[in-house]
Amino acid sequence: MFDNFLIRKDSLKNVVEDGKVVGFKLGVRIADYRGQILSLHNGYYIKVDGVVYPREVQKFEINGKPPRTFEELKTCYYEHWNYDDEGTLYVEKEGGLEPGVHIIEFQQSILNAYGYRPTDEEWVKNPPVPGSGAGAGKTSNIVTYEIELTE
Amino acid sequence: MGIKRGVSLYSYQQEQFFKRMDLRAQIKEVRESLNTDGIEIIDQQTIRDYPNPSDEFVDNWHALMDEFNMKAVTMDVYMDVLQFRDHVMTHDECAERLIGDIKLAARLGFENVRCLSAVPLDVMIKALPTAEKYNVRMGKEIHAPNPIDGKLVSEIVEYVDKTNTKFIGLVPDMGVFQFLPNNPSLEWSMRHGASREAVEIVKKACLMKKNEDEARQMILEGIQNPTDADLSLAFQVHMLSYSNPADIEKLVPYIVSIHGKFYEMTEIEGKPGQYEDKSINYADTIAALKKGGFEGYINSEYEGQRYQQDRGMEYLADEVEEVRRHHEMLARLIGE
Repeated sequence: MFDNFLIRKDSLKNVVEDGKVVGFKLGVRIADYRGQILSLHNGYYIKVDGVVYPREVQKFEINGKPPRTFEELKTCYYEHWNYDDEGTLYVEKEGGLEPGVHIIEFQQSILNAYGYRPTDEEWVKNPPVPGSGAGAGKTSNIVTYEIELTE
Repeated sequence: MGIKRGVSLYSYQQEQFFKRMDLRAQIKEVRESLNTDGIEIIDQQTIRDYPNPSDEFVDNWHALMDEFNMKAVTMDVYMDVLQFRDHVMTHDECAERLIGDIKLAARLGFENVRCLSAVPLDVMIKALPTAEKYNVRMGKEIHAPNPIDGKLVSEIVEYVDKTNTKFIGLVPDMGVFQFLPNNPSLEWSMRHGASREAVEIVKKACLMKKNEDEARQMILEGIQNPTDADLSLAFQVHMLSYSNPADIEKLVPYIVSIHGKFYEMTEIEGKPGQYEDKSINYADTIAALKKGGFEGYINSEYEGQRYQQDRGMEYLADEVEEVRRHHEMLARLIGE
């Protein structure tokens, strides 16, 4: 669900720190019909122009706090990503992305549930790698976007 | 008295997502366009900063409900068993979340909470003293593919008969009376690689009450070189519970409220201004509920929008219109 609307189309920008471009960021929404407990947020499958950027180089910004790694989010048991709020996904990439249109393949992974499942114990030990459809909620297909880097 | 109409604000999830309707606009629509008072919510959709909303949010909620003279019927609550990430939640921890949700429901003035189908009965029993104390009933959702005459229902009925508690019951979802895959999801599948032939075969399989494997076999036999998209349609059959509407009559005393699930309201041929969902048997179900003397709420739960979000904004479903049509049908079948 919300297949075509999970990334805000004019949100792709490079991230500059101390005068150096260190990566890029984009505005993302929840691929479900309810807000999410932040601890369950397990990262993104994000492939830009053929290159996959794994969860380890991603950070997530929400609720007015500085961007946090997905390891840090794991302990946010009672913090909520409200349903209609946009979060910002940061991806580390030296030099950032070139200006112009990029092909972004995208899937969110949030380990929410409707109850106990056979995968529970395994996902505690080894959380699924985003992109497999595991934890992809109501949008289990990888969605492809064409998005222009604006600054 | 008689059956009452309400709306789960779930129905307006897309309007909320695109910030076209805020909470006030949603409640106003139910009161002024649908001329009714029943409100159901998804806790984590409507409540900002769940599980600890601000006093400001709660005050605003009550002000809106008072302004439009609404009734907070049911709050739908969840059970994310991996919430603590370093272990799977125990039943005690699940009960703790449910207890918190019951207190939150009471703070917002709700009469009931809806527990998911998958919530073990002993978790609900652990929360029972809190439900009694706060005067909030717990209803277990009976959702497809679970049938209306299966174990999920019988274990609740047996427990209630044994204990006479008023605080545990059922929230049947009208999707258990679905007999065909919904059209918006079939259209989605066809935009994503399924053939019309495969869709027709699957519809036929449903009308013949086949199971998933049998439907898959029918696709394999009916189509040369079926695609994965063709074969995955068989899952649509898995999601149907083929329940008999007449079976709900005897469950009326146990029903807390009902989810009026629907996917697409289309005009009935030859009856201008009258609508139906072609995939769900509302007529026989409402007749059975009336026969059983049901006087609770059926709350619209529109779910067709999610299959129409894979293209541009111009193709999005009109949630407001769909719910209005649903209430035309409900009012007519209830006999208001």
